[in-house]
Amino acid sequence: MTSDASNGPAIPLLEMREVTKRFGGLPAVQSFGFSVRDGEVLGIIGPNGAGKSTLIGLIGGAISPTAGTILYQGQDIGRLSPHARSHLGIARTFQITQPFAGLDVRENVLVGALFGRRNLSRNEAMRVTDDVLERVGMTPRAGLKGDQLTVADRKRLEMARALATNPKLLLLDEVMAGLTSNEVDQAVQLIREINRSGVTVLVVEHIMRAIRGVSDRVLVMHHGRKIAEDTPDEVLSDPRVIEAYLGERYSKQHQATQGSQTEGSAEAIEDEWKQGLA
Amino acid sequence: MDSTEPKGTKPAQPQEARTSSLMARGRRSWLWSLLTGLLILGLIGTIPFQNDVAGLILWTNVIMFCCLAQAWNLIGGFVGYAAFGNVVFFGIGAYTVAVALQHHLSYVFGLLLGVIISATFAFLLGLPVLRLKGHYFAIATLGVAVAIGEVVEAEGIGGPGGEASLPAPTFGGLDTNTVFFFAFILLSALLLLGTTWLTRARFGYALVAIRENEQAAEALGIPTFWYKVAAFTLSAIPTALAGGIYAYWQQFFNPSGEGGAFDPSRSIAMVLMTFLGGAGTIVGPLIGGIVVEYLDNFTLISFPTIHGPLLGAIVILVTIFLPQGLIRLVQELTRAPVALEGPEAARVSYIHRIGEGVRRVFRFIASQGV
Repeated sequence: MTSDASNGPAIPLLEMREVTKRFGGLPAVQSFGFSVRDGEVLGIIGPNGAGKSTLIGLIGGAISPTAGTILYQGQDIGRLSPHARSHLGIARTFQITQPFAGLDVRENVLVGALFGRRNLSRNEAMRVTDDVLERVGMTPRAGLKGDQLTVADRKRLEMARALATNPKLLLLDEVMAGLTSNEVDQAVQLIREINRSGVTVLVVEHIMRAIRGVSDRVLVMHHGRKIAEDTPDEVLSDPRVIEAYLGERYSKQHQATQGSQTEGSAEAIEDEWKQGLA
Repeated sequence: MDSTEPKGTKPAQPQEARTSSLMARGRRSWLWSLLTGLLILGLIGTIPFQNDVAGLILWTNVIMFCCLAQAWNLIGGFVGYAAFGNVVFFGIGAYTVAVALQHHLSYVFGLLLGVIISATFAFLLGLPVLRLKGHYFAIATLGVAVAIGEVVEAEGIGGPGGEASLPAPTFGGLDTNTVFFFAFILLSALLLLGTTWLTRARFGYALVAIRENEQAAEALGIPTFWYKVAAFTLSAIPTALAGGIYAYWQQFFNPSGEGGAFDPSRSIAMVLMTFLGGAGTIVGPLIGGIVVEYLDNFTLISFPTIHGPLLGAIVILVTIFLPQGLIRLVQELTRAPVALEGPEAARVSYIHRIGEGVRRVFRFIASQGV
């Protein structure tokens, strides 16, 4: 179904037009517009509270927009429930992982296979489940309960369940947060493989290194607005982005030194962010 | 199944491991649960042949409560929604039969009408209340049950003040007590089969997924709201049937007060029995119903003065030490040692396994206890 190349003026897989979401009076996402092309990996980064998870909620259907339209394959899905969007091929993971705690890993994934986009019988769903577990490398953990897993495995389970629904558009909400650098590499590898199999991926992430390694394009959010959208390297050297992450002072320093490479700034942002966490 | 064989043929055991189903842990455990349940019902089914009328009446009552608990298990156990007002369906079933018989309609017609009215009511009630969660849902359902009981009393449905009296049942010369007894046994057996089917069906998977994490269930494509409404409606049907059987069996009953058709303590009993036996399991509610109802009668007869406190103390002890029910205890006892699942487990002797199981049960109680 999904075409690899995005040549020609085809309809984008997902398009947001002037979408606003307010919680009480507080805008989490403000007249936001962007589109996801069929077959690409789009990264979304932004500091804490930028509205990234709200954006995922808006696309997945858990949150309904205050204003604006959300188009998926040209169809307005702004008022559809999350399960209806799942049937259309939109799958998401949760930043705070939401396993079926009392069920084991295989059963967790089985639910996705049974109810997602394809309407599978139990036996077919079992087969899909085993394939997905193999793909994400969780076969050895298949018998563990949802609440017995490490952080990395919980994140992988989120991805496995979403994959089992057979999505066209996969929304990953900080699946790499809290992972060791080794685990991040594995996750990046996995996301690439998923994308190669024809799934369009939207990656929301805090970790610069991960997002650079995996994204075709990167979009930067700040205070609920889009402040940049470009290739990963361009975005990471954009003064507005550096300012959003590190404050004005650093941004001016950075501009003064001019010559500094994008490599350096990306690392600096990441370091600073890690310090912020501590 | 020789696991020592070096990477020769494709190993057989992953194929077997794949047959694990969603709720029935381990292979064929659903079958064991079903057989256990049918065996229990079969043993109880011999009671009418003992010519003990008091015993027969006692056990009819016990099985009636088992049916109520089994029906409550659908919404409370599988979906995990604490419906505290399911007695309302029991009351509707009972009063529909009462009114139908008073109007010289057939008993079966009254039963079916009660089912239809209850199911419709559950569906319509579910539309608003199943949007609520946790305590709000529990209180809303409880409130509705109390309110309907008051309406029946105030309107004098079935008789002045709601005091219904029905014509004496006749079943072509058969002993009426025995007929009602087997009616409840049949209902309980049907519920047992239905619950077993549920643990293997798509529909059941959806309900359990909702219980374990409603948000995730919705995101994975389950229309959670409609599944909840369906489960709630489904739980109303056997409850109404039990009410209809109860009505004709009793011939006289009140809407509210102790032992009334809308008595909220019946709702409490459904919850208690299901949790004591094991919520969301196949035989749990049946076992829970028998244990609670039998203990209730036993303490009432043996210790009439402290009957209430004694039963209360038992309930407190059980909820402290067995919050997951008796069935969980059995599962803990029979489960193969964690480290030895798969072909290794088969080699461990039964004596060893029982010893392990007993130790595990003690650990389980110690870890679960407050």
